[in-house]
Amino acid sequence: MDAVDKNILGIIQSGFPIDPRPYAVIGKEVGINEDEALSRVCKLREDGVIRRLGANFGSRELGWRSTLCAAKVPEDKIEEFAAEVGRHKGVTHNYLRENEFNIWFTYIGPDWDNVCDTLQSITDKTGIKILNLPASTMFKIKVDFKMDSDSTEKK
Amino acid sequence: MAIKFTELEENILALAGGTLSESLTPYADIAEKAGTDEKTVIELLTRLKDEKIIRRFGATLRHQKAGYGANAMVAWCVKEDQDPMKIGEYMAKRPEISHCYLRTTYPEWKYNLYTMIHGKGPDDCKNVVKELESETGITDNCILRSLKELKKTSMKYFEFK
Repeated sequence: MDAVDKNILGIIQSGFPIDPRPYAVIGKEVGINEDEALSRVCKLREDGVIRRLGANFGSRELGWRSTLCAAKVPEDKIEEFAAEVGRHKGVTHNYLRENEFNIWFTYIGPDWDNVCDTLQSITDKTGIKILNLPASTMFKIKVDFKMDSDSTEKK
Repeated sequence: MAIKFTELEENILALAGGTLSESLTPYADIAEKAGTDEKTVIELLTRLKDEKIIRRFGATLRHQKAGYGANAMVAWCVKEDQDPMKIGEYMAKRPEISHCYLRTTYPEWKYNLYTMIHGKGPDDCKNVVKELESETGITDNCILRSLKELKKTSMKYFEFK
């Protein structure tokens, strides 16, 4: 990855142009032609640096509701519980974590009743209580990081 | 309640919420698949981006490959008299923190402030926690290190019909 690739990533992480010829717009900004801009982006996708290129929707802005959930799951029930949780489309992240509350997952549903009903259905099926931890204040939600390595190191 | 879209809009959004085609004209490609014209696609995506319904339109990077390998979810217990709003705003300013939320508590779970901290290695995350402890005076926290990823996917709000 060279400086031009880094410039391209910086641009298309926060805003891929919504324009009939997006690669012409990108190329113009970084000083290369349209075809080279496309082939560089294709290479970054092929190499796995770019996982996905497209729209990321805001769940709240769409009117959906999200929450974080925690559960204390006995060692021998983790697999079964994870399978039941993972079956739901609205579960986007699920991690085994180092704590007494060892399973942590996120759930997104079209309304709050759906969130509560779904969590209750998982408890009914598995017999495991779930802590429903909706956010009351969001100070920050950010998924793009600066490519400049200095930005993450304390000076 | 979830916003309602027409079937054409849902199809466009299902395609735009997937991954763009590797061509010079990705929006014309979406239009062709959805049975409409490029102008309609561009107008819809531009409007939803302006309205922040599309929170971000662009590349999602694989963090490990971009040099950000470690992450830790740290839950903090910030008491009312320690001003959770002020502490949350303060922690959110750190560039290593991607998510910072106040959440509900329970008698069996007292932690109310959550931070997702990213770094190049596990020590980076620990250092950020140490610095925040000394800067804010909040020392009651819980580092929820991930042991295993059981599921990680992007939410599919729209299905192509």
